Amino acid sequence: MATKDSLVTMLGRANVIDDPKALEAYAENHSFDLHFKPWYIVKPKSAEKVEELVKWANKTGTPLVPVSSTGVKLRGDSVPSVPEAVVVDLSGMNKILNVNRQHRMVVVEPGVTYDQLNAELAKQNMVIAGSLRPKAGQSVLTDVVEAVPRLNPMIQWNFFDPLRCVEVTWGDGTRMFTGEALGGPRDLKAQWAKQQWQVQYMGPWMTDYYRLVTQAQGSMGIVTWASLKAAVKPLIHQLYIAEADDLESLEGFVYKAMWTRFPDEIFILNKFQLASLLAEDYDVDELKDVLPPWIVAVGAAGRELIPEVRFEARSKDLIDIAQSFGLDLKEGIANVPGRLLYEKVTSTDKNEIYWKDDYEGSHQSVFFLTQLEKTGLFLRAAREVAEDLGYPTENIGVYIQPKHLGSSYHMEFTFPYDPDSAAATARVQNLVDALSVAVADLGGYFSRPYGKWAGIQLNKDAQSLMALKRLQGIFDPNDVMNPGKLAV
Amino acid sequence: MAKKSLFDMTPVTGYEKKLEDFFPMERRCSNCLGCKFVPFEKIKSNRFGRNCPSVWYYNFNLYSARGRFQLGQNIIEDGYVGWEGQALDAIFNCQACGACDVACKVTRFNLEPLAHNIALKERAVEKGKAPVELKAMAAQLEKQKSMLPDAKKADRAKWAAGLKLKDLSSAKETAEYAFFPGCQYAYDPDLAKKAKTYVKVLLKGGVDLGYLGKGDMCCGGRAKQTGFRKEFEAEAKANAEIWKKAGIKKIVTPCSDCYHAIKRQYALLGIDVEVVHAVELIADLVKQGKLKFKKRVDLSVTYHDPCHLGRLGEPFIPWNGTEKKILNQVHTWQPARPRYAGTDGIYDAPREILEAIPGVRLIEMERVRENSWCCGAGGGCSVFNPEYSDAIASERVTEAQTTGAEAIVTACPWCEINLSGVESENGTFMDVVDIVELVAKAL
Amino acid sequence: MAMSKDFYRALEDIVGARNVSCDPAVTENYRCITAQSSAHYGPYATRTPKPLAVVLPGSTEEVQQIIKLCNKYKVEFKAASTFWAAMGYIGSDNAIQLDMIRMDQVEIDEKNMIATCEPFAIGGTVSVEAMKRGLNCNIAGVGCSSSTLAGSSGWVGFGPSSIFMGIASENLLGAEWVLPDGEIIRTGTLGSDGEWFCGEGPGPSPRAIFRGWTGTAGTLGVCTKISIRLHPWPGPKWIPVRGTAPAYFADGLDCVRAYTVCYPDWDAYAESFRLFYEADICYLAHRQFNMFGRDIKTAMVEIFTHPEKQFCDLPALMEDPYIKEQNEQMKVDVQIVMAGFSDRDLDYKEKAFDEILRQVGAHKSEYYLQQDIEDFVKLYLLRLGRKNYNYTLCSSYEGNFGLSGNVFVAAPLMEEAAALKRKWEQTHTGVAAVGGDSDMGSVSGIGGGGTTGWEFFVHFDGFDLASIEDSNAHIEETAAWMKEKGLGTDFGRWNADARKPDGYNYSQAEHDSFYEKLPQPAMAEYQWKIREAFNPNHLTGSYYKTLTPKEFRKGKK
Repeated sequence: MATKDSLVTMLGRANVIDDPKALEAYAENHSFDLHFKPWYIVKPKSAEKVEELVKWANKTGTPLVPVSSTGVKLRGDSVPSVPEAVVVDLSGMNKILNVNRQHRMVVVEPGVTYDQLNAELAKQNMVIAGSLRPKAGQSVLTDVVEAVPRLNPMIQWNFFDPLRCVEVTWGDGTRMFTGEALGGPRDLKAQWAKQQWQVQYMGPWMTDYYRLVTQAQGSMGIVTWASLKAAVKPLIHQLYIAEADDLESLEGFVYKAMWTRFPDEIFILNKFQLASLLAEDYDVDELKDVLPPWIVAVGAAGRELIPEVRFEARSKDLIDIAQSFGLDLKEGIANVPGRLLYEKVTSTDKNEIYWKDDYEGSHQSVFFLTQLEKTGLFLRAAREVAEDLGYPTENIGVYIQPKHLGSSYHMEFTFPYDPDSAAATARVQNLVDALSVAVADLGGYFSRPYGKWAGIQLNKDAQSLMALKRLQGIFDPNDVMNPGKLAV
Repeated sequence: MAKKSLFDMTPVTGYEKKLEDFFPMERRCSNCLGCKFVPFEKIKSNRFGRNCPSVWYYNFNLYSARGRFQLGQNIIEDGYVGWEGQALDAIFNCQACGACDVACKVTRFNLEPLAHNIALKERAVEKGKAPVELKAMAAQLEKQKSMLPDAKKADRAKWAAGLKLKDLSSAKETAEYAFFPGCQYAYDPDLAKKAKTYVKVLLKGGVDLGYLGKGDMCCGGRAKQTGFRKEFEAEAKANAEIWKKAGIKKIVTPCSDCYHAIKRQYALLGIDVEVVHAVELIADLVKQGKLKFKKRVDLSVTYHDPCHLGRLGEPFIPWNGTEKKILNQVHTWQPARPRYAGTDGIYDAPREILEAIPGVRLIEMERVRENSWCCGAGGGCSVFNPEYSDAIASERVTEAQTTGAEAIVTACPWCEINLSGVESENGTFMDVVDIVELVAKAL
Repeated sequence: MAMSKDFYRALEDIVGARNVSCDPAVTENYRCITAQSSAHYGPYATRTPKPLAVVLPGSTEEVQQIIKLCNKYKVEFKAASTFWAAMGYIGSDNAIQLDMIRMDQVEIDEKNMIATCEPFAIGGTVSVEAMKRGLNCNIAGVGCSSSTLAGSSGWVGFGPSSIFMGIASENLLGAEWVLPDGEIIRTGTLGSDGEWFCGEGPGPSPRAIFRGWTGTAGTLGVCTKISIRLHPWPGPKWIPVRGTAPAYFADGLDCVRAYTVCYPDWDAYAESFRLFYEADICYLAHRQFNMFGRDIKTAMVEIFTHPEKQFCDLPALMEDPYIKEQNEQMKVDVQIVMAGFSDRDLDYKEKAFDEILRQVGAHKSEYYLQQDIEDFVKLYLLRLGRKNYNYTLCSSYEGNFGLSGNVFVAAPLMEEAAALKRKWEQTHTGVAAVGGDSDMGSVSGIGGGGTTGWEFFVHFDGFDLASIEDSNAHIEETAAWMKEKGLGTDFGRWNADARKPDGYNYSQAEHDSFYEKLPQPAMAEYQWKIREAFNPNHLTGSYYKTLTPKEFRKGKK
């Protein structure tokens, strides 16, 4: 009870939850990883309270698990891996603190969602670069900090774009800003008064502090705001689609298109993944019969400055390039107008059942980074593993997304399954385990090492692991931040 | 500036004379790395992007022009460094090829790295610190009027045995041009044959040619490059006296070292004789139709620009000026000081000859013209440090091999000797051909 | 300070006798005369300390052995590649210098647009190798003679190309580091799979500690190899060059256009930057030639494009009415280079460019539309091989009124800063009198735009002590003025806390006295902790900025 009293004193009764059902609900997630229901859920409403909470956790040795999104938990990163944990629910910290049109910068709290943010940005003709159809309750901040790939890699000069500066309370209870914002007073309003818009994310000296919270699953500290770079909203836009019988046929075009930088969005989907995205409007099984095995989708846009000229130049050039690789880039393919696909991929999923779960009731994903020319290897591996375990290969969803101007490619396999079937569940669990090992053996890189991937990935590189441990010892010396994650 | 008489021998002033004169330059060098690379706008690859043999081989900054500027300060200003150890090593292991000088002048208007390198050598020589091999070479020059170790003055004209050349030594006969073979062509048995070929080709083209026979001497150019300034000047003056006595006004030489020495270094001493390289005359004769190539020579070749014919072969420009600061701190020369950027050297003549020979296919290396890589023989390095000199030659042969050409053609005996028989980094060799051999074959 | 004979003998064992030296002629050569380098403090006529020895490692393994040896003998070390800048040099009498010149390889992965570079692969050679494959690399503003690796791991690394290609930090993918304790870390995919394409993670990136806004200036070990992101180049495999040195011109680069924009005022200048960022049309964008000064910039370009001209021609050129008129028009100017990846693309970019100029009331400089001048600018900015022009005017320069930040903050202050500099030019002969405003800098100091980076060039004579002292005093006054304006630390003083005027390291006590006043001192306290964790013997000097954490200060713990 001492714990609860302390939390209530600190945060107020309404912001400390220990209702067993609620605790149970916070532990529900798609992963097969060992997890525990939290002892408390707390809802701090300010960075100051977060700081106080972390300091308290250090004194009491209490594990803290931050969570900012609402809705289905696709991975176990925001679920305690140890008992006695306190979940820090930041979804209530959902203010958009600043929007600056001049520099296209926005500052958001952790609970801000895509719909909320884009509605605000649209007032000034801006938009935030999105990920592939996130859930409606997805925290933009978490999505970006966890480096979920963006649909438009052309505006990612940096691996973590559009993420810029953050405010973080490290695991040792020290709260500070990062990047440009760290050079000034710890007071956003004072910085804005001097026209400092938290644009520049590096340093500000020789340490990129913000990088230590990325892909960290909340294991280094708690982020209480992030500045993000917005884009100018297109006035004219078309998502073009080209189809192909196999993945290899798309490779040349995608490399060339990336080289030109003509596309806005650019991504590859296989038939099943495409059908799943359209499940609201079509029957997936019917679509599977008519859709091509593979598509590449490429956006062309015109913005505020001579929009028609840009749009036309980009459209015609992309069509010409596709043609030179034997691809017919069109405004849509059978049943799939490009505009519909664009609407699906750029909007959030507001349905109760997340689109990836829609087919069978649940799904598992395996995703990692690689290079485009190697994606075929992994595809073959996924099919072989699935075949070995009797999983229907036609139900494997594939999504390939260039990141960071094409430096790396996010490759994601999705395996729908029936969670009510023990056999199906066991099979998909075996599939994910076996494929994860196979991916690692082939050089796939689990840059975001959730669950067992941490062990697989970190054990491949002893020095990086040692460096990581040394850094955790500095920033979270008492191991209060989401312990058990990134464990080998 | 008024034109001096031919052998006025009044040294041209203005240019720096002694090491201390370079002190402001030593301080004004900005460590830009220009002296380690082919001018950045002309680089064609990482593999062949470097220009200075010395720092390419030894790697310590000391062995670059920048390093020598800093060394100069350390020696002159603060005495931190003495005339010993690696200071001497770096001073003498410089081919004086001038690549640093050309690269420096792309951006700088008040630095003379090559002249500074030589000034360091001169001071070291004055202090008796030259390598023993170079001292012996200088002694040989004084004794036998040649810097080649086994050369004997008495054998000077042996190369011309059987040639019917006018003897200009007594001024009884006259000719428009005196053929000045230089020591290598005069004494090396293989090269001597090529010297004869040069003569035959020039005569065939109708050139009015003679020579001094035993009266010929070394040009002394190597002495200048190695820091033996007094020996060089004595040799230059002696040559000038002979030429004066013989009434010689124009000299043609097949040797690039001699060409440079007479064209640039003699001129600095006020010796204003006209000198042309044999390739210039041959190219003219071809253009005028006086030499006609009738035979096909099926050979792919790459042309190696000798430093002393190329970037160091620019015409001498007298200058006598001073420095003056304007706009508070902008350093200027008043009047404008000649900038030897290397671009006015003899580059086109040999290429024109090669292109005119039926069947010859010229494929250029990456480092050509003013950015050519030295053969390694310059600065006396092949005499006192053959391992180093060979490494530099090997680098050039390697570069030549990447062109796919069958042979390296050049127009300098020093380059020819140094590049011949040297393994490339792949352990293979390339034929090295004197340009006159191809000319003779094609006539 | 004496060096142990055993230590030297062990160095010989590691790299071979040929590649190590303690001969004073060699070691003196590795002392930076800080007035000859834009050191971002001073300028001073002093030299950095003399190393005990200079070592030329040829491989990562040799570097590792050297560092382990330094730990054993408690000898400080610092590695540098081109020695272009003062931060590459040691700061103590008990230190050796690593010269990385032997490690100079570069490899290009054309398809995946990646270059792997060793320390002595310079921007010039990396870009040449990239261009052969239709690619190009960001070259730091310091010029193509700087090491790509050093810019990526050691210092800042933005330049004219950064608006299109990002800055060094953004392009840095994988990296191999020998840590100060001798352990080797390979970031991202390199560590796990030997692949160079990603340097982040796994999980939170250890890369965070090696490269922030600046790199670690050689203080967190030795970076021995990196991979960088390359960017598209639509031109030929080599830039064709015509002309006679030094008047070289890019020949026939039709897919590239270069313009100089003349603005009516600084507001228009700033607003155009915003539009350039949004329109995504610039390949290179830099205020370049103004670095010579508002009164002489056109005359300087005339000199550079006419091989027969020299600085003694400056006065006459400055009096030429046509050139005067050009300077007047280009009081507020910037150079923009656009590259077309198709005819339509170039057409769009040209039209967008014209529209931006129309919107802000700017126009293209006629002078820079001359074919030779345009071609000179193309070559200059594409290769950035003339950065020694920074020094050519007086032999040395240092930047002041230098920052990286919001152009809308900087632009309104330009004339005030120019007036301050002009005052010094008129009252102190040590500073070259070039017209006050000698601002230069990148239109973007970050990929895609967002911040700009600029500095005023203070040209001085590194041979002339009075000139050095005048320049230092001028920069000091500017720094004070900037503080008064709340602008932060002047670029010309960025390293004032990294090395003492006498060239030596600061002590921890001195660093503590600087950094305890920081608005958010945790940034320096964490670096102290990082140093303790990765550099336990403190062997790399005081460019690494550390504040003793409160709990460890004044007798605590």
